[in-house]
Amino acid sequence: MAYTFRGGIHVEEYKNTRNSRVETLPAPAKVSIPLSQHIGASAAAIVKKGDAVTVGQKIGEVSGGLGCPVHSSISGTVTEIVKKTAQTGMQVEYVVIQNDFKDTPCPDIRPVSKKLTEITADEVIEIVREAGISGMGGAAFPTYAKIQSALGKVDKIIVNCAECEPFITANHRLLLEQPAAVINGIKILLKALGVRTAYIAVEDNKMDAIEKLEEMTETSKMISVKVMKTKYPQGDERQLVYAITGTEIPTGKLPADVGCVIFNAETCAAIYRAFAYGTPLISRIVTVDGDCVKRPRNVLAPIGTCVGDLVEFCGGLIRTPKKIINGGPMMGAAQWDTEMPVTKSTSAVLLFSEGFGKKDVPAQACIRCGKCVRNCPMHLMPMYIAQFTKIHDLKRAEEYGAMSCVECGSCSYNCPGGVEIVQHIRVAKAAIKAEKTRLASLNKPEN
Amino acid sequence: MDNKIETSAAPVMDAASESPDAGRKIKMPEILTVSPSPHIVSPDTTATVMFDVILALLPAFLWGVYVFGIRALAVMAVSVAACVGFEAAAQFLLHRPVTIRDLSAVVTGLLLAMNLPVSVPLWMPVVGGFFAIVVVKQLFGGIGCNFVNPALAARVFLFSWASEMTAFSADGEKVTSLAPVLAEGDIVASATPLASLKTGEIPPETIIDMVLGYKAGCIGEVSALLLLAGGIFLLVQRVITWHIPVAYIGTVALMTFLFPKSAGMPVEFMLYELLAGGLMLGAFFMATDYATSPVTPVGRLIFGMGCGLLTVLIRYFGAYPEGVSFSILVMNLLVWYIDKATMPRRFGGKSDGKK
Repeated sequence: MAYTFRGGIHVEEYKNTRNSRVETLPAPAKVSIPLSQHIGASAAAIVKKGDAVTVGQKIGEVSGGLGCPVHSSISGTVTEIVKKTAQTGMQVEYVVIQNDFKDTPCPDIRPVSKKLTEITADEVIEIVREAGISGMGGAAFPTYAKIQSALGKVDKIIVNCAECEPFITANHRLLLEQPAAVINGIKILLKALGVRTAYIAVEDNKMDAIEKLEEMTETSKMISVKVMKTKYPQGDERQLVYAITGTEIPTGKLPADVGCVIFNAETCAAIYRAFAYGTPLISRIVTVDGDCVKRPRNVLAPIGTCVGDLVEFCGGLIRTPKKIINGGPMMGAAQWDTEMPVTKSTSAVLLFSEGFGKKDVPAQACIRCGKCVRNCPMHLMPMYIAQFTKIHDLKRAEEYGAMSCVECGSCSYNCPGGVEIVQHIRVAKAAIKAEKTRLASLNKPEN
Repeated sequence: MDNKIETSAAPVMDAASESPDAGRKIKMPEILTVSPSPHIVSPDTTATVMFDVILALLPAFLWGVYVFGIRALAVMAVSVAACVGFEAAAQFLLHRPVTIRDLSAVVTGLLLAMNLPVSVPLWMPVVGGFFAIVVVKQLFGGIGCNFVNPALAARVFLFSWASEMTAFSADGEKVTSLAPVLAEGDIVASATPLASLKTGEIPPETIIDMVLGYKAGCIGEVSALLLLAGGIFLLVQRVITWHIPVAYIGTVALMTFLFPKSAGMPVEFMLYELLAGGLMLGAFFMATDYATSPVTPVGRLIFGMGCGLLTVLIRYFGAYPEGVSFSILVMNLLVWYIDKATMPRRFGGKSDGKK
């Protein structure tokens, strides 16, 4: 029996690239590396225009607070440092580097000299931080901080390879082609966190990877494979923890509060590479797909590669794209910039033509079919929240659980009326948050 | 450095980039669409849902045509045309997008016709259609916003013409001599099985006749078997869930079994009660109407039980022999409260359903 949760939906899988081996993108002529790729403080540039940089050289450093350094993914010259509006809507600095095609490696890169048995948790945290590793599944939380916050609180590690988003096969291919890197990464994490249990959670649409992992972990007492039912959003951490442990993460709490810490499979592989080779996180596997791409495939791309170079490598366009999506089609963000670079959390780049994946009729109205209620993995009543939002009744939107929404989009996906339910809920969440902030500032004693 | 990652296959540069059509290469557009996720949706629409409902209703309706004659077809045609016409007209006049292609007005028209005796004068489905679509549906905001079932509300409105509404053409003596009722003069009002049940008598029809649908009644309600088949089709297609029909029919079964009106034969009485009148049509097709039924599983059970309880009470103590329409309409009014009271416990929330 595969592990699963209540609610969720079966989405069209579109795993077109499941059999495409990861191919290495030849370093592009130019990369544009954002200095802020995740929550926390933005890194500050430590190189300036005209500087020569090497592959893996640190180009951005965070002085304090949450955040990790950023490294150059190619060797060449810094041509400019520009501010642009990033996917989050924030102004972010980009370091643009012109490739000299010499692939000069950074001299600072060397493997960790200590043996795994001798290493301490703090040393692991420092190595992971220095390698600039952040969650590669999509949320991009700095990994060192996650390890730090989990220390002493958790008794199991869950490695998330559910990959429940349609199209994306980056983790699937990683498990098939480099299972050892993932498993070695898990071993480092086990050692660092001092726990004895790690589960690799894989959806049952990847049986080949499951067999391979089972074979490799057969003798391990600590690492085992958990076969998950293929259902969206199985990869959501709340659903994943529940499916495996039977424990619900209480509202507003984190996996660590129920003794679990979750890492993405590729993050584990990155941790391993930081140890074995000293390589910082400067490239990642990206699934390039969508109906506009001639040859959809999995690409190992340097961080900072722009969409154009990826598409070129995949045979070019066969249709004019209308949407470019960073991430999966269910939760990924549509981009406005064809120069969008690959970041540490870009698991896929999808190019859709006009009308792809849409209904043939315009959006109508809620017919109260109740599908969203049945499908909501958080067990909310999404249509009610959406309706309250429409009439600006934030009080009731909150009462009906708007803030518990994980924005997976299951409600919108299956709505026969074509109502963009999850977007209404996002609006409500933002408005509720803003109102709370406003009230808090009013209640503050004047000083 | 990068090639520390063992990708055994060498990068396969595509021959395509050098192919002849490389000349007319498609370029990146100037402007991209930025819309919120999800970027793909299921192809299901309101129209596909309504189409399933129509398919599920058709066998029972066609049986009505077979039993009551070609006039049933005329009643249906007028009813559907009226509903669709009024929907288009109302939306046009209210400056709303005309959405007759979602087929919801067709379903309302079909259900209304199936809830009428075959002998009704043809102006009645027109009046009913007006009431259903304009008054109940569009004036309250259109699809999904009506708080009672439009077809049932129209049926009850048409009881203003009580004699026309209760002139049930009999399948007559025996169904083998099925004479289509074509002219209104030909109608001989006949007692439905419910009328017998009301007095505590077991009706003259056999159980088999009741199941197949050789009995007097409204056009679409006579064949319990075909209605059940349609209902199962909707369950399989996941258009409806089991909660309302099971709770509704189950409650009626339980009540009539525990308190039969004809002493000594509770099972038989119960079966006749289940097969008579509009129970099957109501439980599978009317009570499950999306807009006017709860969205939570527990709510649906409560709603179904309420419908069942009221149906039996009306059948036992009311002036009119049938209670399905009235009970569903009454329960429709409680949907908002039922939903609110049965709000599911949130994932990760406390057991009281609140944060």
